[in-house]
Amino acid sequence: MRLIVNGSTHDVTVPAHETLLVTLRERLQLTGTKLVCGRGECGACTVLLDGTSVYACLTLTVGCDSKPVTTIEGVAAGAELHPVQTAFLANDAAQCGFCTPGQILAAIALLAENPAPTEDEVRRGMSGNLCRCGTYPKIVRAVLAAAGGSGTNG
Amino acid sequence: MAKKFVTTKVEVEGREETKVVELPSRNPEPWADDASLTVVGQRVPRMDAREKLVGSARYTADIQLPGMLHAAIFRAPIARGHVTHLDLSPALELSGVRGAISIDDVPNVKLDGVRLFDRDIHYVGQPLAAICADTLEIAEGALHAVTLRYESLPHVATPEQALAAGAPLIRPQGNKTKNSPRVTSRGDIDAGLFEAEVTITREFRTPCALHTALEPHGAVAEWSGDFLTVWESTQGIFMTRAEVAKAFQLPLSSVRVIKNYMGGGFGAKNGAPHSTYIAAALAKKLARPVRCILDREGEQTDAGNRSATIQRVTLGAKRNGALTAISLEATSVLGIGGWNASPGRIYHELYTCPNVRTTETFAYINAGAMASFRAPGNVEGALGLECSMDALARELGLDPLELRRINYAASDQTKDREYSLKHLDECYRQGAQRFGWGRARTRERDTSTKFRRGVGMASIIWGAGGGPPAYATVRINQDGSVEVLTGAQDLGTGARTVFAQIAAEVIGAKVSDVRTVLGDTERLPFASNSWGSITTASVGPAVRVAAEEARDSLFDAAAGMLGAEPHDLESRDGEIHVKSSDRCMTIRAVCEKLGDVMIIGQGSRGPNPENTAISAFGAQFAEVEVDIETGRVRVLRIVAAHDSGRIINPTLAESQLEGGIIQGLGYALFEERVLDERFAFPLNPTMHDYKIPTMSDVPPIDAFFVEGADPVANHIGAKGLAEPPIIGTAPAIANAVAHALEVDVTEIPLTPWRVLAAMKV
Repeated sequence: MRLIVNGSTHDVTVPAHETLLVTLRERLQLTGTKLVCGRGECGACTVLLDGTSVYACLTLTVGCDSKPVTTIEGVAAGAELHPVQTAFLANDAAQCGFCTPGQILAAIALLAENPAPTEDEVRRGMSGNLCRCGTYPKIVRAVLAAAGGSGTNG
Repeated sequence: MAKKFVTTKVEVEGREETKVVELPSRNPEPWADDASLTVVGQRVPRMDAREKLVGSARYTADIQLPGMLHAAIFRAPIARGHVTHLDLSPALELSGVRGAISIDDVPNVKLDGVRLFDRDIHYVGQPLAAICADTLEIAEGALHAVTLRYESLPHVATPEQALAAGAPLIRPQGNKTKNSPRVTSRGDIDAGLFEAEVTITREFRTPCALHTALEPHGAVAEWSGDFLTVWESTQGIFMTRAEVAKAFQLPLSSVRVIKNYMGGGFGAKNGAPHSTYIAAALAKKLARPVRCILDREGEQTDAGNRSATIQRVTLGAKRNGALTAISLEATSVLGIGGWNASPGRIYHELYTCPNVRTTETFAYINAGAMASFRAPGNVEGALGLECSMDALARELGLDPLELRRINYAASDQTKDREYSLKHLDECYRQGAQRFGWGRARTRERDTSTKFRRGVGMASIIWGAGGGPPAYATVRINQDGSVEVLTGAQDLGTGARTVFAQIAAEVIGAKVSDVRTVLGDTERLPFASNSWGSITTASVGPAVRVAAEEARDSLFDAAAGMLGAEPHDLESRDGEIHVKSSDRCMTIRAVCEKLGDVMIIGQGSRGPNPENTAISAFGAQFAEVEVDIETGRVRVLRIVAAHDSGRIINPTLAESQLEGGIIQGLGYALFEERVLDERFAFPLNPTMHDYKIPTMSDVPPIDAFFVEGADPVANHIGAKGLAEPPIIGTAPAIANAVAHALEVDVTEIPLTPWRVLAAMKV
C-alpha cells in the first residue's frame, strides 16, 4: 500500500492489524508521534489524516492508503515554524514535551475547523489531549495567540 | 589553609542526610536583592523547546539501534502466592521471539524489598519473567504463550486488614515498617490539650495517587564487551549508574547512563526500575540492544504511587486562636515497599505551637510499592492539617486566614533554628489581596439556585535548600560559544535554561551563545538526582562558580589584548569592556585570538549554612462552585503566592507553579487508584479510569512569586519551587467546598458521591 506522510510517499507492506502509530514510529522512524496509552485515552499520538485529527494508536495503517498523513515532523516548513509552533514557543507551552506533538496537531486541526475559537472552545476542543506537567494554561494561551484572538471572544 | 572536605546537612523530600562536601575553589558574594543582574531573572524562552515542538527531541522510547529487540514483561495475576510452574518455552517457539529471562537469568537485585522475578508473588503486576522479540507486538503476543501455575496465599488489600490481629504476614518483618509507630513530639501534648479552651477532632482520608507521567518508565540497553550503555528515562543518571553497576558487578566506569529528554518524572523515576535490569539482562544474554518500556497498565500498577493516608487530628486552641496542642495519629499505606514519607512533619513546622505530637504508622499491603511523588508526605499531611485549621476557625468564629496569621511560625520549631528567609506573611498578604479574600469569604450566600459558592485557602511549607555535592564545568570554546556541563537532569522543569542563564550572567555572554549539556554519566561531572526541588539550588551555585573561574581566565586573556588589568574589565551581552573607556572586544574575538586555548572553569556546590532552615513557602486560595444536586465540584479560580527566593526565570517558574497546582487539583477532585478489596486487583490502571485533569477542568490560575532573593541559603539566592505548589491546592479546594456547603470535608478526592455524602452528615 501507499502511505503519504508529510508529503513523502512510502510503499509499505503492513499486517492488516498494524496501527498507524506503529507504522510511523517503528517502520518510518518518525518518532515524534508518541505512544502513551495506546488506547485512545490521552491524545499524545494525534496526527492529521486528510486534514482531520485522529489518534494514530486507534487508526489502522491499511485504512490510510493514499491519504495524506501529517505528523509533527511535517508541521514546520523547513526551518520555519508553523504559527501554532511559534505560539507554543512564545508562550512556554511545552514543559517535558511528551504530549506536545499531539497538542500541536490537535490545535492545528481545531483551528482549521474553527479559525477563531473562544477560550472555552479551545478548552473543550483540546480536552482530549492530556498533559501531566499541567501546561494547560500556557497551551490555551498559545492556541488563542495562534488564532490571533485576544481570548475573550471569537 | 582551611580543610578542603567538610560535612553538611542536606534535606531531600523531608529526609535530612549528612553529606561530605568538597569546598568550592571560591565562595562568591551572594547576589543580593539589589544586584544588577541582566540575564538571571529574565524570561528567557525555554532553550530546548524547539526540539520538543518539531518532534526531534529524542526520548528513551525513541532510541532506535541497529539490531535492537523489544522486551515485554510477564506479570503476576494474583496479589500473593507462590509460582509452582513457569514455562517460557512455548513463547520461545513463536516466530520472531528471540529470548526470554526469568529469575535464574538476572542479577539478584531487590526492588522495594522484592527480588527481581521473585517466585514468591507479593502483588498483582509483579514481574515474573520477560520476553524479547523482533517487535514489541510479537513480544507482547508471546506473553500469552507463557504457562504459569501458582498457589495463592492470603493477602491484605487495605491498611485495616494489614494491621488487624492475625493478619497474614506479607513482609518477613511484619506488615509495618520497623520504626512504626514513629512518635515525634515536642512539649507536652496532654498539657496542651488541657490548656485548650477549644478542641476539634477530625479524621481524614487521602487517596493513593499515581504519578501518571506521560512517558512511562523504560530503558534501552546495549553492551559492548563489558561496557554497558543505558538510555533511561530517569531523574538520577548517577544513581541509576551505581545501581546497575552494582547489580552486574561492573566498575562505575563501565556503565554509561544517558538521559537527554524525558517525559516527566514527578518523583517516580529515581534509580533503576525493573525495566532497566530487564533490558540490560536481555541485552547481555542475546548480545543485541534491547528496549524495555513499560506499557500503560504496568506504569499505573507497578511504577510507584503516593501513599494513601488516614489522619486523625486533634487541635487545641485558646479562644483567641492561639494553638496549644496539635496531635496526629496517621497511617500511611506503602504498598509492598517504599519509604517513610512523613505526613506528620508539616504538623510540626507550619504553625507556632508548643505542644505537638505525631504518631505515624507505615503499613505494607499487597500492591505496587509507594515511590516519592511531588512533595511526598507533605501533600498528604497538608490536607489533614489545613482542613483541621479551617474546622478550628469555624469553631472559633475566626477567619481562616486570620487564624493562620495568629499562629505564624517565625522560626523552625523542629530544630529551634531560624529560617534563612521566610516570606509566608507576604504570600498571605499579596495572595489575599489578588484573590479578594476578605470580600469573597464574607459574601452573602446565594441559595436561589442549586449552585453554592465557597472560597478556601491553605498554607505551604517545604524544605527547598538543595545542597552539595554538585559539580559543573563551564567551557568557553574557540568561537566564544559556552557550554555548561553538569550531570543533572531536566525533567521538563527548565533546568537547562536556568543553568545557561546563570553562566551567561557571570561570563557576560549572550544567553543564546550558551548551551547546557545534561544527563550523561560518561561526559559530565556529578550532580545528584533531580528530586526534592533541589536542582536549581544545588547545581546553580556550582554553575556560578565554574562560570566565574572561566570568566576570570577569559579576562586574564583579554586584559593583555585590551591593554588593561583584568580587574578593570567588565562583560555584558557578549562583549568585554574596559571600565570607563570605550575599549572593547567581543568574547568571540578574544577566543579566536587565543586559538586552541580552551577556557575551562570548574565549580562545585559548597555547604549549606549551619543551624539554618531553608524552606519554600506559599499560600493558595481557591474558589469553587458545588452543584448540590449532583455533588459536582467545579473550581472557578486559584490564586497562588509563593516564596522561593530568587527566581532565575519567571516564565519557567510560573509553568512549574501552574503544573503543581493542576496536579493538586486532580488530587483534590478526581485522582484515586482503586484496589479491589477482595483480590487486591487494581481496577483503574488506565488513563481513562484514573482521571488526571484535562484542559477543560482547569480554571484561571494566577500563580506568582513574592519578591526577594535568599542570600543566606546560597550565593545565587534561589530556593526550590517545583514541589511546593502541589501542597496547598487540595486543602484550599477542600476548604472552599466546606465553606460552600457549610459542612466538614474529610475525604478526597471530592467525587460527586463523596460530596453528596458529606452534605448528608
